[in-house]
Amino acid sequence: MKIVVIGGSGLIGTKVVNQLRQKGHEVIAASPATGINTITGEGLAEAMKDTDIVIDLANSPSFEDKAVLEFFQTSGRNLLAAEINAGVKHHVALSIVGVDIMQNVGYMRAKKAQEDLIRQSGVPYTIIRSTQFLEFLKGIADQATQGSEVHLSDVAFQPIASDDVASFVAKYALAAPINGKVEIAGPERFEMYEIVARYLQHSNDPRKVVANGRPEYFGGEISHAALVPAGGAALGAISFEKWWDKQLQKA
Amino acid sequence: MQKAKNGNPDLPVSSKITPELERKVLLELGNDITRVRDKNDLILLFSKRIKGLFYFTHTLVALIDYKDETYAPILLDDQSPIRLHAKYKELVQSRFSLNEPFIQSVLQADDPISFLLEDIMYQPQSPAFLRLNYEGGIREILMTRLMKDGKPMGFLNIYSDIPGSFNDGFRNIIKGIAPQLSSAISNIIKNEELLKKEKEKSFLLDFSSDIALVRTKDELALAVRTAISKLNQKSGYVIRRINEDNTTMSPYVYDLGIHQHDQKIVSALEKARYPINDGLQNRILNSPIPLLFTVDREIQRGITSAYLQSWKMMGFKDVVGIRLRNGETNHGILFLNIEEINVQLLQGICSQISIALANIMANEQISKKQEEQAFLLDFSNDITQVRTKQDLQAAISRVLDKTMHTRLVMIRVIDDDGLHLSPFMYDNTLFKKAKIDFDKMAVERITINEPYTAQVLTSKDGLLFNVEEELKSGNTYAQLWKITGLRNMYGLPLRAGDKNIGTIWLLADQLSQLLLKGICAQIAVAIANIQANEKLLTYKKQLEVENDYLKEQIKTIYNFSEIIGGGDAMQKVYRLMSLVADSNTTVLVLGETGTGKELIARAIHNASSRKDKLMVKVNCAALPANLIESELFGHERGAFTGAIDRRIGKFELADHSTLFLDEIGELPLEAQAKLLRVIQERELERVGGKQIIKINVRLIAATNRNLEDEVKAGRFRADLYFRLNVFPIGLPPLRDRAEDIEPLTHFFVQKYSRNTGRKIRKVAPKVIQQLRSYTWPGNIRELEHLIERSILMTTSEVLDDVYIPQHTDAEKQEQAHLLNRSLEEVERSHIIETLKRCAGKISGAGSAAEILKVPGNTLHSKMKKLSISKSDYFG
Ligand SMILES: NC(=O)c1ccc[n+]([C@@H]2O[C@H](COP(=O)([O-])OP(=O)(O)OC[C@H]3O[C@@H](n4cnc5c(N)ncnc54)[C@H](OP(=O)(O)O)[C@@H]3O)[C@@H](O)[C@H]2O)c1
Repeated sequence: MKIVVIGGSGLIGTKVVNQLRQKGHEVIAASPATGINTITGEGLAEAMKDTDIVIDLANSPSFEDKAVLEFFQTSGRNLLAAEINAGVKHHVALSIVGVDIMQNVGYMRAKKAQEDLIRQSGVPYTIIRSTQFLEFLKGIADQATQGSEVHLSDVAFQPIASDDVASFVAKYALAAPINGKVEIAGPERFEMYEIVARYLQHSNDPRKVVANGRPEYFGGEISHAALVPAGGAALGAISFEKWWDKQLQKA
Repeated sequence: MQKAKNGNPDLPVSSKITPELERKVLLELGNDITRVRDKNDLILLFSKRIKGLFYFTHTLVALIDYKDETYAPILLDDQSPIRLHAKYKELVQSRFSLNEPFIQSVLQADDPISFLLEDIMYQPQSPAFLRLNYEGGIREILMTRLMKDGKPMGFLNIYSDIPGSFNDGFRNIIKGIAPQLSSAISNIIKNEELLKKEKEKSFLLDFSSDIALVRTKDELALAVRTAISKLNQKSGYVIRRINEDNTTMSPYVYDLGIHQHDQKIVSALEKARYPINDGLQNRILNSPIPLLFTVDREIQRGITSAYLQSWKMMGFKDVVGIRLRNGETNHGILFLNIEEINVQLLQGICSQISIALANIMANEQISKKQEEQAFLLDFSNDITQVRTKQDLQAAISRVLDKTMHTRLVMIRVIDDDGLHLSPFMYDNTLFKKAKIDFDKMAVERITINEPYTAQVLTSKDGLLFNVEEELKSGNTYAQLWKITGLRNMYGLPLRAGDKNIGTIWLLADQLSQLLLKGICAQIAVAIANIQANEKLLTYKKQLEVENDYLKEQIKTIYNFSEIIGGGDAMQKVYRLMSLVADSNTTVLVLGETGTGKELIARAIHNASSRKDKLMVKVNCAALPANLIESELFGHERGAFTGAIDRRIGKFELADHSTLFLDEIGELPLEAQAKLLRVIQERELERVGGKQIIKINVRLIAATNRNLEDEVKAGRFRADLYFRLNVFPIGLPPLRDRAEDIEPLTHFFVQKYSRNTGRKIRKVAPKVIQQLRSYTWPGNIRELEHLIERSILMTTSEVLDDVYIPQHTDAEKQEQAHLLNRSLEEVERSHIIETLKRCAGKISGAGSAAEILKVPGNTLHSKMKKLSISKSDYFG
């Protein structure tokens, strides 16, 4: 089958591309670097030719509220329009658990806009809502750092390893479109500050984590359970410790 | 996998090479390679140089594409033994997977690596070109990685038909030259990209300077055509523009390319209006990037727009649609039938076209506005010259039908009652096909509460009814509208100042708001003027008529302000009068001639609430039969003849007043029928008119005939009699009210002595006695005349002689009276009788003079001499 992975050079994208190629599919890893750009439309129509499945794993280069919304809207519109023209049979996108209940956060509004475009497009689809990636822990720590302290919320947090995410994405992409959403999450649930503290400890980072008790995520107030799946989610196999060991091996 | 052995001693070219030669070759080749600008020259140069030193058949360069992990040939020398093979073309366009053992082993190898084709070409995943080359006689292949930034960028493939061609010297040379080759290739590719970008830029620059000059649609067409033919020779294009309705698009300029097409299809395409939201056009308008689509696939997808079918028939397969947009406003779409899209270039072109389009549209709008304004000015000139309804109608149909290409359905004007609307003008040819009588429909009076009229009257600037939509929503009028084939019905209020004066209904496909508003304002003013004019004329006419009446009545009435007579008989009459006066009840006054029936009628009128308006009197006996109807009900000469020719009937004149029908017994039967209807319905139609006029008239009828007898004799309708005889008041004859003779006598004496300027101070008792004893067949009128005559005869201040006809009893008196008359008296009464028969007409055809066989002048002077006045023969 011909599969186009938009954002095929990204964290998840690279892994998904590899997994699918190993299964013997013809995979195009699309990104501006490979001449396929969903914002300018460059290379898009050609890439879509005879394509069966499109997996959208692109991410906005800028996370500023307005820029990110514009990115997902424009990218989504262009991509879906090209898919309609090419007769693509399955569109898969990676979204975030709890997007619809965190609409006060700019990034979530953008992801919601992306989801809405997909639902309205008429292209058969599967939306995979994932919890945060374990690879993202450092980023969370960094953006919450004040001097030598990391101020973090105690909201429930259930991060998932990117390898698990990639496996799920590949699996759902090859299955029949659900025309709805599925949720995926890591195998363990923590409080946010707790797992970040553990991460910093493991990486010998001297910063101290302080639980501030504020239910916040990227500056927006959220409910305590907003970031974790409410119902039955598919859970990844890689625990935090396992993931950490793998990171060490790679290094 | 087995690698080929190095070196074959039986090669046509010496493959032995010294290190110095190797250095020299590398240097020269390196120098030359860096000078090459064209990639095909590169491979040729390379191939030629190496061939001088080593043996091989041909060579090629393939590039890796990491996005799908494939590689594909980009540089080919022309020596391939399989270049004539049927599959060669397909082969050079193929992409080969990196995920197979053969190419993986090449990627792993730091040095050039050779293979015997036999060894590898049968591996299941091996690329097809190995096998094909083998079929072409090739036996061995030397594969060399080309590296860029430490990462493989492609391969140099060298083929030979002799196994063992690639000795160590050859390999060393190739290994040595590979980095230079790599950088030369990537430089050339980069250069080509730059050139292409450069070319595109200069193309866009040219295009932009072309298009900056565009002012008209034709110039736009030419500029776009030129640009497109520079890009691609044969593609056709169409620019569609969003129509004013904002829901459809129509072709604006187009060029179908070099192909010939069925003219029928083309003109159908040209005229159509395609809904924007057809599933394709809206997709393009919403897409920030050019959208490539396949006509067939769109049809399969279920998009039913007719243009797709037409394109299919015309052979257009792949089309790019790009929105033409300025800022946030979409103006249209450019469709191009090309298979490849260069997004940047197309967007560049389209942003230019968008600007040009916006400019042209703005230009068109301005000149259209100017035209419209000039047009309005003309119309307003036309309309200021208009004085009559006909002129106005002519001006309106000129402007609407001929210039604006719309059809006037109807102008309705609000009546004086503020409730009803009457047709002012309409086009009765409009719905001919429907075989309905539009005339009949049009005269039906509607009110301002009729739902569509009400909507229009309360709207700010009128309403647009889309015929199709109205049909769907069950508007029954819309079925009629549809017959005309026009798309919209425009209903606008006609307003003078802020007062609604009517409605105008127009059918058209599309009308400019500016024009509509302008024209309606002018029409409204013109109608208001004509209406005011009409009203003025009507009032004037009415005043004239009323004036005539007044003059006449001043002459004819007994000039009492009060009725003389205090006797019992009259007391009874007064009582009845006061009972009935204040009601609206019809009164029938009965009494012999000269008993003062009109006086009673007038007194009833004056005691009623209608007293402020003039009582209108009609003498039914004095009217020629053929004129009675128009006299009573008025007439209209034709629907559009204007008010000047219209005559207001006595009934209308007496609206909100009293109509006194004297001598009702003389009314012809035909007129009786009509009168009955008017009394019953309280409304009337003018003769020849279509309009129903409501009236509020109080009737008082009078006669000296016995109507019951007339009914029995068939001369008077019983039903009319019953309608009139609601409240009969009988006036007693003078002979039954002897007690009133004296006051009456004094009254008349006073009146006539004043009139004649004589001073009669007294009436002799003898005279009173004489008067009381007379039977007065002519009642009060006779008494009055007698006094008048007697006063003329009297020379003293005392009236002591009256000339009472001599008689004893009534019958004999009549007889005696006749016999004792002087010639003058006979002559006088004969003339009066004749005049009465001729409805007062003195001379001319059907006149008294004709009957009496004397010239009109003679009759006049005779009448003067005998002092015959109008009151003698009318009344
Ligand atoms: N981070 C989380 O915790 C989380 C959780 C749930 C879901 N997600 C979603 O997961 C998705 C993938 O995330 P990620 O972390 O793998 O992203 P990432 O590593 O930042 O990769 C982004 C990819 O998008 C490509 N890209 C950027 N602009 C593009 C354009 N105009 N056209 C085509 N491709 C473009 C990038 O290409 P270049 O490399 O050439 O720039 C890159 O391949 C995102 O949609 C994100 O919202 C993230």
